[in-house]
Amino acid sequence: MENIRNFCIIAHIDHGKSTLADRILELTGIVHTTGGEQILDSMELERERGITIKAKTVRMPYKAGDGKDYILNLIDTPGHVDFNYEVSRSLQACEGALLLIDASQGVEAQTIANANLAIDSGLKIIPVINKIDLQGAQIDDSLLQLEAMLGLSMDDALLISAKNGTGVVELLEAIVVRIPPPKGDEKAPLSCLIFDSYYDAYRGVIPHVRVFDGSVAAGDKIIIKSTGKTFDVEEVGYFCMRLIPAQKLQAGDVGYIVALVRDAGEIHVGDTIISGAFPQTPAIPGFRHSQSMVFCGIYPLSTNDYGKLQDSLQKLQLNDSAIAFEKESSAALGHGFRVGFLGMLHMEITIERLQREYEQELIATVPSVVYKVVNLKGNELLIDNPSKFPAPAEIDHIEEPIIRARIIVPPEYVGAVMELSLSKRGTMVSMEHPDGKRVLLVYDFPLAEVITDYYDKLKSVSRGYASMDYQFNGYKTGDLVKVDVLVNNDLVDALSYVAASETAVRKGRALVHKLLKLIPRQQFKVPIQAAIGGRIIAREDIAPIRKDVLAKCYGGDISRKRKLLEKQKEGKKKMKMIGAVEVPQEAFLSLLKIEE
Amino acid sequence: MTGLYVHVPFCAHKCDYCDFYSVAGRLDLVDSYIEAVITEASHYRGQSFDTLYLGGGTPSILGAKNLEHLVTSIKAALDVQKFNEATIEVNPDSASLELFEAALKNGINRISIGVQSLADAELKCVSRIHTAEQALTAIGMAAAAGFHRISVDVIIGLPGQTWQALFSTLDRIIMQPIDHISIYCLSLEHETPLALHPPADLPSDDDQADLFVQARDFLQNNGFVHYEISNFARPGCECAHNLNYWRGGEYVGLGPAAASHLHGRRFKNRADLSAYINDPCGVVEDSEELGGEKKLAEEAILHLRLLMEGLDVKNMISGFNPQHTARLTRRLDMLVTEGALLFDGAVYRLAPSAVLISNTVFCRVLPD
Repeated sequence: MENIRNFCIIAHIDHGKSTLADRILELTGIVHTTGGEQILDSMELERERGITIKAKTVRMPYKAGDGKDYILNLIDTPGHVDFNYEVSRSLQACEGALLLIDASQGVEAQTIANANLAIDSGLKIIPVINKIDLQGAQIDDSLLQLEAMLGLSMDDALLISAKNGTGVVELLEAIVVRIPPPKGDEKAPLSCLIFDSYYDAYRGVIPHVRVFDGSVAAGDKIIIKSTGKTFDVEEVGYFCMRLIPAQKLQAGDVGYIVALVRDAGEIHVGDTIISGAFPQTPAIPGFRHSQSMVFCGIYPLSTNDYGKLQDSLQKLQLNDSAIAFEKESSAALGHGFRVGFLGMLHMEITIERLQREYEQELIATVPSVVYKVVNLKGNELLIDNPSKFPAPAEIDHIEEPIIRARIIVPPEYVGAVMELSLSKRGTMVSMEHPDGKRVLLVYDFPLAEVITDYYDKLKSVSRGYASMDYQFNGYKTGDLVKVDVLVNNDLVDALSYVAASETAVRKGRALVHKLLKLIPRQQFKVPIQAAIGGRIIAREDIAPIRKDVLAKCYGGDISRKRKLLEKQKEGKKKMKMIGAVEVPQEAFLSLLKIEE
Repeated sequence: MTGLYVHVPFCAHKCDYCDFYSVAGRLDLVDSYIEAVITEASHYRGQSFDTLYLGGGTPSILGAKNLEHLVTSIKAALDVQKFNEATIEVNPDSASLELFEAALKNGINRISIGVQSLADAELKCVSRIHTAEQALTAIGMAAAAGFHRISVDVIIGLPGQTWQALFSTLDRIIMQPIDHISIYCLSLEHETPLALHPPADLPSDDDQADLFVQARDFLQNNGFVHYEISNFARPGCECAHNLNYWRGGEYVGLGPAAASHLHGRRFKNRADLSAYINDPCGVVEDSEELGGEKKLAEEAILHLRLLMEGLDVKNMISGFNPQHTARLTRRLDMLVTEGALLFDGAVYRLAPSAVLISNTVFCRVLPD
């Protein structure tokens, strides 16, 4: 155990985490030069979006300057605010963390959030200032911010360039010297923490674990603490870009356990695995089921694909236990699922994965938060779907989830951010000036306002300089109304939304107008209306289509014309029939795209 | 009934909207092209043909001598004495009495003239290289040469076109000695100059629809029968060659880019003149033999284009799977319920109100 070092890298998006990980992999001989392809971001989506969605782990041998051989376990952490809980579990598996700061950007909101998580978890922090080779590197400022904003000593900081390798060897030495070896009792009953898992079609759910006490080997019986279910261990081993089987995992180790767990619901990040022989072993503290903050409806485009969608969601959940889903049905869309996500990015990624990896043709509805609706009888209803709201006359009041956001922004953009925040019903909690170059704003927002486009707008009004982090901060009464949308006089439950009274009408008009543009002209006139209760607040009519005809000379080339019709028909198949109206999939998310 | 189509892929100049295969300014290739057509035609010797259609491109650009050579050689190669109907497309700028007389002498009995518009400004807008006067002269010459069957093409939806302008074109056209009018909607075809640089005053789809309806009413009031979506004829003067397409009949296409339907198979020659000249029988592509439900739907859609004749399911079901026919009938009946089709107990027809949205209707005739 003395020569093991378990550590992670925490960083803001684009601060160079993946590049640093690649350099470390190269220096320890795990991989040869990477040619620019980042190794740990293996999911196609991760590469495209430049973020890490799933944590990944690598075990590396390292001969240190003291002549001894060490095992370095790098535990990669997700890098987005939506995945805070996953980050916290990854941190719990480590003894130390590299806090990576881009010298050209300085400390960002998310750096603070994750650094505080790491400090709270008792990790040894090694501050690392990256990208010192850049023209715009502001090394001194970054060091000052370390002290002012995080309370870390600037003397502890290492200066590196992950891109060209400067200072990375020194960094590896610092990992060995500064990060303490794991503690634990190899003789004690098994206790290990699940910090990630993935699904293998042949071997079931494979949990990634950090062993704290005891050991585990093939043939052992293990118990999943929260469910009490027992499994037989088939194989244990380490991650070294692929799975490398080992005799056993023991206290201090990071590795995987194959135990033929078929049901993803059995394995949750944060849960504890204990020995079958010692069922009384306590759980490692801190386990909770991840809490869904944002919900949307996901429906198969063709009702025949309901089973396939359920299957895909289950498979996806095997890889991502933070997804919660249950059956729901919509008068407009038929049978589908209400799916809960950690945040908007998580939702977008999940929908994209369903479409790409599982080839699902689906309709996603506008995301909603969970409202607390208190009716006249005083009953409190938790509602995650606007279409399930009681009639306005039955509602006493509505409470909505509030988040507390920490926004860091250069002083010249503070005015723009304040204006934007006001328009999103934000209330300022505090404003601080940690140094002359940045302002720390703390705001409370209704979560519903933030999940639509606040983050994109924040980036745009600050020319990309603002960063933001948030956490849930309770419920608060709001002046809210539900708005319904009628297409061809039929209420389309999947288009209903909740809005602040003051903006409901404006949004309704904008949405109706957007739908007018999105829904193709039909054979008949189609009125589009928005209504609060029985009151129509907006209406536009889609004029019937007048011309869709092949009226040109075309000789005898009948095949080409038939193929054009078939293509047109395929396009129509991608639409959802709402009554007799063909509605394109993107119409159901159009609320997110309205220009106010 | 079997038709013979010959694609003449030469033009003096490409019109801005046209995406048909032709080459401009390569008349030096005419001789070798005609030799190639003769070679390809001899491949079909023994097959009988009822109609001939020389289309393009611009067949009239061949001139009297080449035309005579082409037609006599084809007849000889196929061992055909005469066609019941033989049409040649003529562009007003290459019309001449000499050409018409040569055509008539060689058994061509129908002329289709690309008038398009009788407003010079509209013609210029889409880079047509003739004037309204030339078009009227061409019609007069064809009649003077002895042609009784003359058709004209008219484009609606030209840049800036109003009903007054279109009316003025149609009103003068019906006074001419013609028996057939094809009305085509100007459409932006992929990669054409018109599509790449569309003029600002291009009528919208709705404007085109208005123009079409007014043109249809006007022609019907003046004795023309709207017998196919784009075609109007004096009673009994429908184009037999084209009717054969819509009735699902068979035909052979000669020349580059020409399409054929023979022994149940549809295929076409590659749109490549020099490849065709090199190997006239070796450029077949896109060959397909539809079967079952797709074939049935294709035939149904073609028949529905014939507005008067319509689709008599009982007449076309021979050889088709009764289950497929039953499903087709269900789809058609649904469209009858919705008013897009009319049904008189035997024949399905497109409702007049559905003619301009017939693609929407035809999509629903295709099997799911």
